[in-house]
Amino acid sequence: MESIGRSVIRKDAVAKVTGAAKYTADLKTVGSLYAKLVTSPYGHARILSIDTSAAEKVNGVHKILTGKDTNILTGEEIKDRPILATDRVRYHGEPVAVVIADTLAIAKQAANLVNVSYSPLPVIRSPKEAYQQGVPLVHEHLGDYEKIAEVFPKPGTNICNHTKIRKGSMEIGWAKSTVVVETEVSFPPSDHCAMETRSVSAEILPNGQVIIHSSSQVPFTIKKMLSSIFGLNQGKITVHTPLVGGAYGGKSAIQLEFIAYLASSAIGGQKVQLINSREEDFITSPVHLGLDAKVKLGCDAEGYLQAAEITLLFDGGAYSDKAVDMSRAAATDCTGPYQVENLWCDSFCMYTNHPYATSFRGFGHPESTFAVERAIERLAEKLGMDPIEFRWKNAIRPGQTTPTQVILNESRIGNVRRCIERVRELINWEEGRRIEITPERIRAKGVSCFWKNSNIDTNAGSGAILKFNEDGTVHLNCGVIEIGTGSRTVLAQIAAQKLGIDVDQIYVEMDIDTSSTPEHYKTVASRGLWMAGRAVLAAAEDAIGQLLNVAAQVFRVSLDDLDIGKGFVFLKDNPARKLALKELVYGYVYPNGNAIGSQVIGRGSYTLRGMTFLDPKTGKGVPGPDWTVGAQAVEVEWNKRDYTYKILRAVTVIDAGTIINPKLAQGQVKGAMHMGLSFASREGFIFGPNEVVETTQFRTYKVLRYGENPDYTVDFVVTPSRETAYGLRGIGEHALIGMPAALANSLSTAAEVHLNRLPLTPELIWRMKTGGVR
Amino acid sequence: MIGFDFEYYRPATSNEAVKLYESLQAQGKRPVYYAGGTEIVTFARLNQIETGAVIDINSIRECRVYQFNTSELVIGATVTLTHLAETSAFPLLSVTGGRVADHTARNQITIGGNICGEINYKEALLPFLLAESNVIIAGNNGYQDKPIMEAFNKRLQLEPGECLVQILTDRKYLNLPYFSVKKRKIDVIDYPLLTLTALKIDNTIRVAFSGLCGYPFRSREIETILNNHELSREERIEQTVLHLPAPVLDDWIGSAEYRLFVLKNTLEDMYLALEGESL
Repeated sequence: MESIGRSVIRKDAVAKVTGAAKYTADLKTVGSLYAKLVTSPYGHARILSIDTSAAEKVNGVHKILTGKDTNILTGEEIKDRPILATDRVRYHGEPVAVVIADTLAIAKQAANLVNVSYSPLPVIRSPKEAYQQGVPLVHEHLGDYEKIAEVFPKPGTNICNHTKIRKGSMEIGWAKSTVVVETEVSFPPSDHCAMETRSVSAEILPNGQVIIHSSSQVPFTIKKMLSSIFGLNQGKITVHTPLVGGAYGGKSAIQLEFIAYLASSAIGGQKVQLINSREEDFITSPVHLGLDAKVKLGCDAEGYLQAAEITLLFDGGAYSDKAVDMSRAAATDCTGPYQVENLWCDSFCMYTNHPYATSFRGFGHPESTFAVERAIERLAEKLGMDPIEFRWKNAIRPGQTTPTQVILNESRIGNVRRCIERVRELINWEEGRRIEITPERIRAKGVSCFWKNSNIDTNAGSGAILKFNEDGTVHLNCGVIEIGTGSRTVLAQIAAQKLGIDVDQIYVEMDIDTSSTPEHYKTVASRGLWMAGRAVLAAAEDAIGQLLNVAAQVFRVSLDDLDIGKGFVFLKDNPARKLALKELVYGYVYPNGNAIGSQVIGRGSYTLRGMTFLDPKTGKGVPGPDWTVGAQAVEVEWNKRDYTYKILRAVTVIDAGTIINPKLAQGQVKGAMHMGLSFASREGFIFGPNEVVETTQFRTYKVLRYGENPDYTVDFVVTPSRETAYGLRGIGEHALIGMPAALANSLSTAAEVHLNRLPLTPELIWRMKTGGVR
Repeated sequence: MIGFDFEYYRPATSNEAVKLYESLQAQGKRPVYYAGGTEIVTFARLNQIETGAVIDINSIRECRVYQFNTSELVIGATVTLTHLAETSAFPLLSVTGGRVADHTARNQITIGGNICGEINYKEALLPFLLAESNVIIAGNNGYQDKPIMEAFNKRLQLEPGECLVQILTDRKYLNLPYFSVKKRKIDVIDYPLLTLTALKIDNTIRVAFSGLCGYPFRSREIETILNNHELSREERIEQTVLHLPAPVLDDWIGSAEYRLFVLKNTLEDMYLALEGESL
C-alpha cells in the first residue's frame, strides 16, 4: 500500500499512448471561427500603412483587426507590449493584424492579402550593442510605461531591468585573491521547441461570460490578466487547460489569449480558435533569451574563492515579458552553489530587436551557470588545481550565505559536496579527463555544478480538493497543469499515502477549469509538487479529520483512538473493529436508517512563507524556500582532424530529497539533460539582415533527436526537505542547468581551447582553434 | 494548411500529362507536376509556391518502374528514395539517396522530385552524373533521350510542360568502386555541408559535389586536376579549391571557409578510400 517511492505509471499514460489524449487544438466545435496572424517580416520597422481591403473581400472573412483596434499595452512586469503592433514592429514575427474567418484556409488566404507597408529602422543586434551609449532605443517611451515596483527599467536606455547584488567587500575580496581570471561568454536566443505549438480559443457568451481554452502553464494568470487588462470581473472568466504537449516555460507567457479574446469580442462573441504554426511558435510567440556575460573571479592560493564580479546582459528581445524576472532570478543565484564572501553582480535585461523572451526551463540559471562555470574552470586551470576538487572545496554548505544573504541550513541547501563526490565516481574521473585514444581521437570530460531556487511571487500558493465517490474512490482536483512532467500522478501518490489507500483508488482529471479547480499559482519553477504537495497533504488531513469524526461517533470513542489505513478507519487497539471508507464517505447510516455525517470533501491550501522582495541596493532578500543542488559531467570524443565530436555520456547527481516516483524523477532529469545538451550543442537562432530569423523550422533549427542522445546516468542524493510533502524537492528544471557548461568544459579540455560561445558546433571549435583559416 | 485552392489531376499516361499541362497553362493556372509532394506541400504552406493545378504523375506506368533492360538500369521518376535506398542494384545511389532528409520524408520523396525540385542540394542526382546516365523526358513531341551531363546544368533543363520520366544507367557503372560521404553541420539528419560522391573507373576518379556551391555539379576541369598524378594529393586538392565553378555557399549551415576546410578533408578521405595510402 506504500505509494511513496513507487514508480507508479502515470495517470495520463493510456490516453497518451493510444492517441486518445486531447490537447487544446483538438477541441474543435461546430461554429468555431479561425484566426490567422499577419506578422512582421522585419526585425525593426515603421508601419507606414496597412491595407486590409483586398483581404476583407475574401468570401468567409468576418473581420480583420489591426493595432488601431487594440490600443492596449500588456506585460507581466512592465506594460510595454501592444497586443497587435501599432506604429512600429520591434521584432521579426511580431503580430501586426489578425484575420477571423470561417475556416483556417480562408483566414490564411486573406492574411496573405493584407498589405502592410514598412520602412525598415536600424536594429539592435545583441544585448552588448543595446548597452552601448548612443544606440537607437527599442522603446523611446520606457519611462511612461506602467510597471510593478520590483522592476527597474532605465528610461533613455535599452535597459528594462537592473538587479544589483552587493555582498561583502570587493576590496577585501580582490586583496585576498592571488589568482584572478576574467571570462566572457555569449550565446544567441533560442527556442523551447515544445511538440505542441501554442494554441487558444476564446468565446464570449451572451451573458458576458468569457470562456478561454489555452495550452498554458498559467490558466489562473490568464484569468487575472484578462480581468485587469479588459476590466472584467474575474468571476466572468473561465479558463480551461487540457493536457499540454510540452511547455518548458514557453507557455507561461500570455499572448495569443489577448488576441483571441479581442477577435471573439470583435465579432459578437463567437468562438475563435488561434493556433500557432511551427514558424509562429518559433518566433512570434516568446523565445528563450540569449546572453552576453562577463565574469571575473578571484581565489587564494589554497583555491578558496574570494571575490566575484559578474555582469550579465540578457537578450530579452523586443518586449520585457518574463525576461526581466529571469534576469533578476539569475542574479540571485549568480555564483552557482559556491561560497563567495565578496560579490558584486549587475544583471541587466536588455531590449533588442529579437523575438521577445519568456521563461525557459531553468529560469536564468542555465545561462548564468554557463558563464560562471566556464570562469571556474579557467580559474582552477590557472591555479593548477583539479577542477572537480576546486568545486568540491568551494561548494556551499549549511551555515554559509547565498548571494542574496540567505543563511543556509541542510533543508534549504541539501548536500552539494556529496553530489560532486558521486559524479566523480560515476564519470570515472580518476581515469583522467583527457585521453588520446588515437592521434586523432580525444576522449575528454567536463563537469559543472548547479543550484536553483524558485524566484516566484512571495505569496505564491496552491490549493487542492479531494472529493469522494460512494465506493470510497477519490477524485483529486488541483491546479497543477499536466505539462508532461507527471506531477498530477505524483500528487495522487501523496494523497494515497496520506489517506492510506491504493493510488489506483485516486482519479485525477487532466483538465483544468479555473472556475472549479483550486488555484495553483503557475505550473512553473519546479514548484508543482513543492506547493501542491503541501495543499494535497492538507486536503487529505482535512478529509481524514471528517472521516474520523463520523467513525468516532459510530464507535463511541475519541478521535485519538482511531487510525486510518488500507481503506478502513479502525480502532488503534483493536484493528478488527473497523469501518470501510465507503461506509463513511457519504456519512454513516445506522441500521434503522438514521444518518450522521455527510459527504466528505477534503480541502487544503498552502502559501509560501518567509519570502521577501530583494533590496534594490544590495539584492538582500529571500527569493524562494530552498535550493535544489547537483553536479553533472559530460564525456565527449572529439576528432582532432575534422573537429567533429560525439557526446558519449552525461551524468547527473541531484539532491532530490525524498523520491516519490523514481521512474518519473529519472525521466525529468534525463529529459532536462537532453534539452540542455541540445541547446548547448546545436540550438540558437541565426539572424540575417534586419535581424530576420533565418531558422524558423526544424529543417534549419536543429534539436537533438532521439537516438542521437548519449548514454544518460542519473543518481540521487537524498537530503529530505523539512518543509515539503514527505521531504521531496523540486527537480523539473535543474538537470538542464549545468549541461551547457559541462559540455563546453569537456570540449575545451579536448580541444585545448577556451570555448565560451554556444552553440558548440564543430565549426565553432575549428574557428576558435584555428582562427578560421582553412 | 494551404491557403489557396488548386485543382488536382492524375493522368494515366505521360502524353495525357503533357497535354493537361498545356491546357492548364493556357488557362493561366500555372500547373506543376507532382510526384512525392514534399516540396510542393511544404512550400505551398508558406506561399513559397502558388499554383492553380497540380498534375500527379504517380499513375504513369513508365514513371513507376525500377527494372533492367538489356544494358541499362531503368528508374522511373516517381520511385521513392526509400525504395532506392532499400534496393541494391546501384549501391552508390542507394547510399547517396538514402541520406536525403529523414526516413519518413524519403518514403515520399521521389528521385524525379529530388532532381527537379527547388531545394538546391539534389544529392540523389550525383550518382547519375558520375555514371553519365541518360534521362527520358516527355514533352509535346513525345519522348526525348538526353545525356544527363547535357540536360543538367545547375538544374535539369526542361522546357515548360516537359516532364522527367525515367533515368537510364549503363549496367557497367553500377558496381564500380565508389566513395560517398555526406558532411553535416552537427546533426545526423540535415542538409549537406558537403556531399561528395566519387566513382572509380579503371584508374580515373569521377567526382560530383552537392552543398558546396549553389547547385550540384560534376566538373571535368576539377576531375582533370584530381586525376593529375604529376601533382601530389595535397597540390591537387589545393588546385581543386581554386577551380570551383561557383562561389562556395556561406550560410546558416556553415561558412564558406569552413566548407572548404571540410572539402579538403573529404577529398583526402576520398583518395584514401579509392587509391589507398599516398605513395
